[in-house]
Amino acid sequence: MRGIVFAKRTLKEIVRDPLSYIFCVGFPIVMLIIMTIVNESIPAQAAIEIFQIQNLAPGIACFGLTFIMLFTCLQVSKDRSTAFLIRLYVSPMKPGEFVAGYTYPVILIAVLQSVITFIAAMIIGQIKGYHFEIQNILLCMVVLLPSALLFIGFGLFFATLLNEKAAPGICSIIISAACMIGGIWMDVDSIGGTLEKICKVFPFYHGVAAARFAIRGEYSKLGQPLLIILVYAVVIYLLATFVFRKKMQSDVR
Amino acid sequence: MKNAIELNQLQKKFGDKVAVKGSTFQVEEGILFSLLGVNGAGKTTTIRMLTGLSKPTSGEAYVGGYNIKTELDQVKKICNVSTQETAIAPNLTVEENLLFVAQIYGFSTTEAKKRMEEVMKQFSLDEVRKSKAKTLSGGWQRRLSIGMALITNPKILFLDEPTLGLDVLARKQLWKIISGLKGKITIVLTTHYMEEAEALSDKVAIMVDGELKACNTVDEIKAMTQKDSLEDAFIAIAEGEV
Repeated sequence: MRGIVFAKRTLKEIVRDPLSYIFCVGFPIVMLIIMTIVNESIPAQAAIEIFQIQNLAPGIACFGLTFIMLFTCLQVSKDRSTAFLIRLYVSPMKPGEFVAGYTYPVILIAVLQSVITFIAAMIIGQIKGYHFEIQNILLCMVVLLPSALLFIGFGLFFATLLNEKAAPGICSIIISAACMIGGIWMDVDSIGGTLEKICKVFPFYHGVAAARFAIRGEYSKLGQPLLIILVYAVVIYLLATFVFRKKMQSDVR
Repeated sequence: MKNAIELNQLQKKFGDKVAVKGSTFQVEEGILFSLLGVNGAGKTTTIRMLTGLSKPTSGEAYVGGYNIKTELDQVKKICNVSTQETAIAPNLTVEENLLFVAQIYGFSTTEAKKRMEEVMKQFSLDEVRKSKAKTLSGGWQRRLSIGMALITNPKILFLDEPTLGLDVLARKQLWKIISGLKGKITIVLTTHYMEEAEALSDKVAIMVDGELKACNTVDEIKAMTQKDSLEDAFIAIAEGEV
């Protein structure tokens, strides 16, 4: 119950910050529009499919989740830098309730962000003559949940270990890395070689690949990347909650 | 009179540095007890230990009859703290901040709203009830912060330098509020303002370099040091004249 009360407060703190709307809602839509325009400029002979709306939408939905990491990170590190968290440490709240209170609202925001991104993608798809299947969009949103958990885990992890100034900086590096090696803006499979191998070591590529398979209805290819991103998400999130609990205990020493 | 707080040789070390050197004293129920000392004297560390924010290195302490080492969950239910820094959720309104803390302490929505109205009245917060906490002045924020500590109906309230950084008027207003609480709950106050301690306290403890040097009523401390004011008595004790 305390976790829910704390989650409501965290949600209010996030949604009352105008930056949330810019990054969570505005940015994915703007990127969808810009990249669709970029795609228009690419000659058909180039055979680049990455910016076609059916590949772009799941990629940008995944990209949007990286900002969920930033929100988690900013909220936790901001709380840690003030006496507000001290007040709550004195209260009967348990470490698990803190973690739940930070996770629930950002999961909700992640789902809302995906809904908005796919509504925008459907509109652009209609204009460009591509029809999204509703069941594939719903499946894709479910497939994106492990990626959301992964980025929440990263946000919690860095905000727990670093201070308010350093933590968002590290998150920016993760955002850039996720874009570069996640295959959001480039076709990793067609590049091949060492870069492809490096990309596949990290979880981001698998999150994007799973989302793309889901939206295209290629269900038989979905299993492997989904399993990989799920394992990464669970490990990183559990590690983050473990570090948060340890930090909370060490703060009380 | 029953004791609300009992310390028995309570000690805190940070590495080789002894922050609190085996303090032993009692705080009777319903009184306002001031813990005085210069910076680094061990006041905040003592409060941190009593509220579960810091683990004692050795010794025992009981808050509301509960052992702070073995019954901390019970201690947390009956006490609350207003820290040196204002502890509020900046993007929540005054109402929401109060309701939030009440619900964290297990109050139902109905109970929390009832308590919120009582605290609103007690702290004259009504005119800013819909304002976001971050938009309030320092004085209002501090008032809200103390209100958030009181909404949970604590039996014991720790006020760590509650008037720090406030202007004269805001400080006097807070004094009035704190005076109004005397007799209803036990209050442990730390402050650097001697006139504040003299005006409000039933009993005063003076710490110097982590060590408890005096623990008595203001009049008895003045008599002991043969000084006319608590400030002079404090200086005499802090400088080792007594």
